Amino acid sequence: MRNFTLPSEELMGSGHLGCQGCGAALAMRYALKAAGDNTIVVIPACCWTIIAGPFPYTSLKVPVLHTAFETAAVAASGVRAALDIQGDTETTVLAWAGDGGTFDIGLQSLSGAAERNENILYICYDNEAYMNTGIQRSGATPYLAWTTTTPEKTPKTEPKKDIMAIMVAHGIPYAATATVAYPDDFIRKVQKAKSIYGTKFLHVLAPCPPGWKAPSEWTIKLSRLAVHTRVFPLYEVEHGERYILNEPKEATTLPVSEYLKLQGRFSHLTEREREAIQELIEKRWQKLLRMVRESS
Amino acid sequence: MRKPIVFTSEREMPPMAVSLADMGHNCTGSWRYMRPIYSEKIAPCKNACPLGNDIPRILSLVSEGRYEEAWRLFRQTSPLPGVCGRVCYHPCETKCNRKDFDEALSIASIERFVADACFDLEDKVSERPRRSEKIAIVGSGPAGLTCAYFLAKDGYAVTVFEAASQPGGMLRLGIPPYRLPREVLNREIELIARWGVEFRTNTKIGQDIDIEKLWEQYDALFIATGAHRSRALNIPGEELALTGLEFLKAVNAGQTVHIGKRVLIIGGGNTAMDCARTALRLGAQPIVVYRRTREEMPAIAEEIEEAEHEGTQFEFLAAPTAIYQRDGTLEVHCIRMQLGEPDASGRRRPIPIPGSDFVMRADSVLKAVGEEPELSFLSERLETSEGIVLERAQGLLERAGIFVGGDAQTGPSTVAQAMRSGRETAFAIMRFLRGERKPKAPQLDEALRVNFSYFAHKPRVATPQLPVAERISSFAETKRALSADQARVEAQRCFSCGVCNNCDNCWVFCPDAAITRIDSTYQVNYDFCKGCGICAEECPRSVISLVEEEL
Repeated sequence: MRNFTLPSEELMGSGHLGCQGCGAALAMRYALKAAGDNTIVVIPACCWTIIAGPFPYTSLKVPVLHTAFETAAVAASGVRAALDIQGDTETTVLAWAGDGGTFDIGLQSLSGAAERNENILYICYDNEAYMNTGIQRSGATPYLAWTTTTPEKTPKTEPKKDIMAIMVAHGIPYAATATVAYPDDFIRKVQKAKSIYGTKFLHVLAPCPPGWKAPSEWTIKLSRLAVHTRVFPLYEVEHGERYILNEPKEATTLPVSEYLKLQGRFSHLTEREREAIQELIEKRWQKLLRMVRESS
Repeated sequence: MRKPIVFTSEREMPPMAVSLADMGHNCTGSWRYMRPIYSEKIAPCKNACPLGNDIPRILSLVSEGRYEEAWRLFRQTSPLPGVCGRVCYHPCETKCNRKDFDEALSIASIERFVADACFDLEDKVSERPRRSEKIAIVGSGPAGLTCAYFLAKDGYAVTVFEAASQPGGMLRLGIPPYRLPREVLNREIELIARWGVEFRTNTKIGQDIDIEKLWEQYDALFIATGAHRSRALNIPGEELALTGLEFLKAVNAGQTVHIGKRVLIIGGGNTAMDCARTALRLGAQPIVVYRRTREEMPAIAEEIEEAEHEGTQFEFLAAPTAIYQRDGTLEVHCIRMQLGEPDASGRRRPIPIPGSDFVMRADSVLKAVGEEPELSFLSERLETSEGIVLERAQGLLERAGIFVGGDAQTGPSTVAQAMRSGRETAFAIMRFLRGERKPKAPQLDEALRVNFSYFAHKPRVATPQLPVAERISSFAETKRALSADQARVEAQRCFSCGVCNNCDNCWVFCPDAAITRIDSTYQVNYDFCKGCGICAEECPRSVISLVEEEL
């Protein structure tokens, strides 16, 4: 009695350099299963630069182009153009960047590609800080979280950047959120994106055991709780206006403290601060519900 | 595992940074300090079942509509699924992990459904070996029947001696037909007889046959005569009360018993409940008189509820002190009790309240304050006469080929416990005859950790019941069978605790692609498994354990 219907093809090999319980590695495994072997992956500086393996090795069974930090979307656009010139419209070009290369450093090239509606699939695996360089804050780091550059005494005072709103504002044909605890939802979204022409953006929450200070076996649990506590709702937006909410269902909703208490990066929080986070989550949730209502 | 690439000079390197091989040389298994292993656990239901019925696998078969296979799996551990599905107090359901999620599985109802659905099926008797040794079993209750079944299946010639006119022991004499229809009992005994078991009814030990003779004539002897002697109240006028068991035996044998309208039943055990519900069906108004409160009643909670639901009244914290006959009715003098400190049984001791005497009137009084084994037939040479002595002498007896089990050994217990004793004795007799030692049974951990994230709430299917008015007007079975659809849907609620059912979670959630599916099993590739523990955490049914790596 299978719980999921995952394609059996493995395009990510073992022996990669992801840490124990790496959510980003699992995300790549799902993404390639869904995208298939006719895919070219473009990876800017991020954890996956390391995970994929050092020269002259690769842990992926599809071609990978390693590129500079700020250039994932533009390099992917170039690969796409080269393929198009050759008359190849079948190959999927997958830009695969972390939250640093998406929210911060690569944002201008991503915005440019989206504005030109380049025919690429851009997946941001978001582990909510610059993890491979030593857990420095990024624009994706959540409100009041600990990082090495926002230590416990002065945790991050800015809320997480709403990257989905930014991408949706470009009016791209497809933007969606996904996370590793929901493989079927993840696979469906990649396959759906693949079938659409233009710029497709997937925001994937990828728990990071060392960076979140959580045990490696809780990667799926945290990913699932992020959804159940509405920290990371799963939804899709078509053509910048049609919102579709996938998860969480009302009956499974939990208070955000259930999610926060499992992670060392939130262990310094006071009751008041946890309430402030809950309020922020609630505000974003109500906004999302409003968008879903207005577009239906 | 592959070899790393070594460039010995610049000329061997590619003109640009391009990959030449995969990461297969990089055995990340060396990072691991916790090792995931597939080790199936014992489900709490199976662990709680006195017979160890393989409940998760049986439910899995039922959920797929494979009823015959489910029935045959029951018969590997129990010859009486139709009986147990009706009368067992189902400790399996009490331990079911699902109770912490929504409601426990309705295991007993499913067992009954399987037995009913396979009523016409037979065991594959032809597959049995033949052996020369002869075994005598005294008593054909659940212990004797079960012992006979397992010995006969293994090829031994088994003769069962029964004092009554039909085999079944307490199942026939004590359990009323509204709980256990006789055609079900008859059918399951018939299937035991098919294995070549000979039943000699109307043969009472100590009267029609002598135990010493049996000992001489047979290679081994199993005494499973049950607990049929009613305990005394030790009060004046006691002889005016019927014993509950005699009453049940008479009614269950089809005799007419006049008990009048108002019937007092002294005692709070299962016999008392059976007496009350039987009396109701004879048109009487039963009142159960019990010296403690409802919480301390030894009867199974479900039986108490049923008796109450059907109209039985209860008089708690009251004990009879004397019975007198006056003007054609009985006058039962009682005293009010209060509860004191816990006694040896852990229940609070009832203490009489001085001066609280009161009188209850009744047309008849049934005493059901417990039963005990009657073992006076044991000869002096066996140096035993009472249950306790017998238990102490058991090792000695077993060396001589005499085994005692069931209620005769333990005092009144449950059907499933008696069956377990019968089955264990069957294997003890086989070992005795073959000169073997008892093998060490492997100890399996119980599957107690369930990841509820992978299950949806679904209500338990209710067992259909006859309406009360119909129930108390006849001895028809009160519980009705589940439909096939209900049984299947209910079985699908099973978590399958500790038993892998190929849900794929471990394979799906491995960030290192280090788990492979081979046919219907999974294998961890320890060359690459980093020991993150996700597979064990996300296994819904605790099949995967994490063990520390040895250095």
